[in-house]
Amino acid sequence: MAAIVEAVNLKKTYMLGKVPVEALRGVNLKVESGDFLAILGPSGSGKSTLLNLIGALDKPTEGKLLIEGVNVSTLNDNQLAGLRRRVGFVFQFFNLIPRFTARENVELSMSIADASRAERRKQAENLLETVGLKERMNHKPAELSGGEQQRVAIARALANNPRFLLMDEPTGNIDSKTANEILGLIKRLNVEKGVTIIMVTHDQRLAKQAKRIVQMLDGLVAGEIVN
Amino acid sequence: MRSRDVFSYSFSAIKLRKLRAGLTTLGVVIGIAAIVALLSITQGLQTTITEQLQKGFATNTLIVSTGGGFGLGAQGATGSGFKLFVNDTQTINEIENVSMSLAIIQRVGYVQFGGKNRTVTIVGVDFAKYASIYSSTFVAESGAVPLSPENDTVVVGKRVSDPWKNGTLFFNVNDDVEILWTNGTARPPRNETYAGHVATVLQEVGGFGIGPSDSAVYIPISKAERFFGTDECDMIIVKLENDDTATINSTSKAIRNAFEKQVSVTSATAVLNILSNVFSVIQLFLGGIAAISLLVAGIGIMNIMIVSLMERTREIGILKALGMKSRTVLTVFLGESTIIGLMGAAIGIVSGWVLANVVALVFHGGGVFFGNQAAGTGGITITPILTPTVFLGALLFGVGVSVIFALYPAWRASKLKPVEALRYE
Repeated sequence: MAAIVEAVNLKKTYMLGKVPVEALRGVNLKVESGDFLAILGPSGSGKSTLLNLIGALDKPTEGKLLIEGVNVSTLNDNQLAGLRRRVGFVFQFFNLIPRFTARENVELSMSIADASRAERRKQAENLLETVGLKERMNHKPAELSGGEQQRVAIARALANNPRFLLMDEPTGNIDSKTANEILGLIKRLNVEKGVTIIMVTHDQRLAKQAKRIVQMLDGLVAGEIVN
Repeated sequence: MRSRDVFSYSFSAIKLRKLRAGLTTLGVVIGIAAIVALLSITQGLQTTITEQLQKGFATNTLIVSTGGGFGLGAQGATGSGFKLFVNDTQTINEIENVSMSLAIIQRVGYVQFGGKNRTVTIVGVDFAKYASIYSSTFVAESGAVPLSPENDTVVVGKRVSDPWKNGTLFFNVNDDVEILWTNGTARPPRNETYAGHVATVLQEVGGFGIGPSDSAVYIPISKAERFFGTDECDMIIVKLENDDTATINSTSKAIRNAFEKQVSVTSATAVLNILSNVFSVIQLFLGGIAAISLLVAGIGIMNIMIVSLMERTREIGILKALGMKSRTVLTVFLGESTIIGLMGAAIGIVSGWVLANVVALVFHGGGVFFGNQAAGTGGITITPILTPTVFLGALLFGVGVSVIFALYPAWRASKLKPVEALRYE
């Protein structure tokens, strides 16, 4: 299978005031189409930084990151924005727009990608049905539970038929019962719809559900387990 | 992102904070309303004054006067002791392009009737020539202006006969009135008086001007010469054969030359030009003051946009994470300020127009503007005028100021890094 994401000696250094902090110190990683990868590691291990780089939210300091064969470092702001439209991002804190309903939140990412109104509406309704929220699509985030909000976020991430889904602690902010439902949904998307998933977590139990687990420690890949 | 979607996104952001957006818009409304009200009143005033002036000062007439000149637009004012006399009209009549000229002697005096006095301007003119030059304003209310008047014939302005505007007349046609003026040059000063017969009351002229006035009393020029004890006249009105600029200029020059450049010659065109320039300056000045209030509104917009930017940093992060381009973020923010500017300008233009009309209504005939003349002549009616230039200018200015002051916050929003914006609490 072709590699969708390939990181070669990937480094990222932040400046914390005047002190440089090496968040990634040379990560090598390959993710192939249809993969379900869990990046596991303690807080500060660099897993979220890696996810942000893969999601084109940030640029690496050194090394190479190829997304579908394109080196992210060579892209300008507009091209990075274009790349982000082809990536689905699911955040720990959902990051929905509070003034929009569930359906409008899903439609927003499609409207950013220039989709027509009719197209957006149809796709949003289908996706909200997929995540089991068709009945509540006209509710605003404040009227939805944490689990429901995360399902809206997943529907939004899928809206532009992305090459892969990036999930940053997707169940980190919801109760365990709902977390199991979300996990079930994620697995179903991977198995039934063939969606490539890269998920960051510090939860061993959650990571075990993935096909591959990449263990990170101190900005480096410390090991890999294939389930 | 399609422009309709950008607009609806911007609008949804405004709708979320209605009170704040409303107050921000109010700033623009006040600024634009002030500009529109001031400019449309000034424009209306200019038109009124110009019309009044044209009534009394036809474009094919010149006014010849001595010394410091007649005033606005006078060419060749000298300030020497040179005097114009009634028979100087003969010299002027011989000049090319002059069809007729008319000397005017005037003094401030009184009309006495039934034991009561009223202050008036006593004007000595040749009735026939005066009526010919001011054919639309030197018109009798009933009957006709006597063209071959007797010595004691008196023609009075509307407000002299009917000063209170309520039908109670001070005196009427065919009444005999005492005409009186104080001869200040006599030693000792003495009151001169004679009995005049009111032959005609003129139609109301309204406003003010150089020609016939509602508060004047007209007597034959020959009588005026004897009554005022002089054949020195205050001005000579010259009627030209046409109102071409070339004719006006060449005749003005010829008249000045005929009197060795000791007289001032004023043309209506020159007065109108100067008036127009004066009003341009007034408009610029008033518009400038009003524009300052709009600039204050602009700073308000900038302030609100910066606050909004801080509050919505995370939202901007989300938009960028979803793939929105920096340019689109900029457009979203500028869209918000454009909507505020458009609404503010539209409401402001309407409010300004209403305000201008209210002001005009309040001051109509109230004698606030040009109080003295209004009291004597029936007041000036100002009809505010909203020209397309002012309308479009106000609209563009309102939107322009809003957009310009939003540029910096919008630019900052567009430059936010997605990772940092998403981390913002």
